[in-house]
Amino acid sequence: MIFETLLFCLLGILFGLICGLVPGFHVNLLIPIILSFSFFIKNPYFLAVLIVSTAISEIFINFIPSIFLGAPDEDTSLSVLPGHRLLLEGRGYEAIKLTALGGILSLILSLIFISLFGNAFVYLYEISRPYVHYLIAFVVILMIISEKKLRKILSAILIIFLSGFLGIITLNSSLISQQNVLFPILTGLFGLSTLILSITERAFIPKQEEDFNLKISSFQIIKSVILGCFAGILVGLLPAIGVSQAAVMVQYLGRANDPRSFLITVSGINVGNEIFSLVNLFLVGNPRSGSSVAVQRILSELNFYDIVYLIGSICFSAGIASALTLFLGKKIPKFLEKLNYRKLCIFVLIFILLLIFLITGFFGLLIAFASTSIGLLCAKLEIKRSHCMGCLLIPSILYFSGLNPFVLSILGI
Amino acid sequence: MSQNTIYFFLVFPKIMLELKKNLFTILCFLCSLLGLLLIYFSALKIQPQEVSLSEINFEFLGRTVKTSGKIVYKNSYPSGHVFLTISDGKKKLQVPLFSGFMEKLSETISEDELKEGRRITVTGTVSEYKGELQVIPRKVEDIKVDSYDF
Repeated sequence: MIFETLLFCLLGILFGLICGLVPGFHVNLLIPIILSFSFFIKNPYFLAVLIVSTAISEIFINFIPSIFLGAPDEDTSLSVLPGHRLLLEGRGYEAIKLTALGGILSLILSLIFISLFGNAFVYLYEISRPYVHYLIAFVVILMIISEKKLRKILSAILIIFLSGFLGIITLNSSLISQQNVLFPILTGLFGLSTLILSITERAFIPKQEEDFNLKISSFQIIKSVILGCFAGILVGLLPAIGVSQAAVMVQYLGRANDPRSFLITVSGINVGNEIFSLVNLFLVGNPRSGSSVAVQRILSELNFYDIVYLIGSICFSAGIASALTLFLGKKIPKFLEKLNYRKLCIFVLIFILLLIFLITGFFGLLIAFASTSIGLLCAKLEIKRSHCMGCLLIPSILYFSGLNPFVLSILGI
Repeated sequence: MSQNTIYFFLVFPKIMLELKKNLFTILCFLCSLLGLLLIYFSALKIQPQEVSLSEINFEFLGRTVKTSGKIVYKNSYPSGHVFLTISDGKKKLQVPLFSGFMEKLSETISEDELKEGRRITVTGTVSEYKGELQVIPRKVEDIKVDSYDF
């Protein structure tokens, strides 16, 4: 059993590598394909191991295209800018190392948190749910006033309004499936707009530094991991709060503003969320991620030992995936230095547009056009790009405050 | 030459220079507005797919559909949530009406109207909860009470 489990973990890492490296190819797209070939795998536990290993490996490897190519996934969209900034400073490997470190530390801390306070988190969710919209609204206000100058405050309001409107109409319409709708929105706001700026400003990848030390204090690392892990667990609990919203909330409430802390936090949130979504199956029987939905469908009722078995597989896969991420993080910049970065950006841009068209059709392209324009506008107004997260924060406020039906009735969607 | 004309010739080049400097920003703003308007009008025109209840399966997850069925079970919670189970005779599906939604809905349809045996048409997003498929309505107009079905 151990040998087969490890074999399926390795296969999962391979799938995670593919999902992670190809921009726009998310584990949720691969899961239906894995499930349709599931008749080859007689033992359902191996199938579950394959899925959780793919999901956790993808989280680690996903930061590579996000940082080196500016081509993010839904959950790593906010890491593009800090990661890209470090890359352009010649510290691309450090950015990768920070995400791998954040992920591994968050994995350990999540397990400790969940084993000690698992039920307390569920209780916390029950009592905090009626007030979540106030918290998100507070974060939005903090985001706006953090710009300080009046011109920038007004620009921030404009971006939050535009992206918020985009979120409301796309997340509530029948234009494209709600499972894929975030792909063109977030890719446009953070990925495509960054690529266009790189092309127009003729950006190039400078020679990467050989110094692999982390330029961040131990205190900042610990603080970022705790924040990321805690936020990840909340994402695992709260419906309508995704990794990106949590990252913005942590950025403003926890003052994780510098790029290094932020990369650790985003990675921590992703891993914390994945772990807690799985444990949530056991605690409340409610899956909150694509992989945990699949695991529930495969194993139906999970007992304590099933969870321990799957967490063991996750730990093994996470260890290998983080080592693989560090290896690729060292090799890829050397390869990229030799390439014409501008041509590479044009190629990635066309590739992502093609993917958007294939996955979400014409309306996906239309959404990407609007979201890219908003992302570019935000950059040109020289305000923080996180304001674009209005596309998720505003719909979340409406959802939790119960105003969504009212707003949709007014809009007539 | 009038004072206004002189003023115009003095200011106009400055405005043009400022516009040229911010041309890309203005273009981005106009493209954002154009994109949002196109998406909005498309969203208004595109109607959710009408499907029979028994056709809805896991492939529909995330899609917005319009379906109808008879209420075969109703569960009201003290918190205000109401969970309806509707059926077309072949398959069952859950329609969760959360407390916030129920408050708005009660302005047009009373909770008593949603009783077992009554046929309703629901428009909403297909999602999954604990392995079961649900259709979650988004606004009050998404629930239509059709008739009694004996």
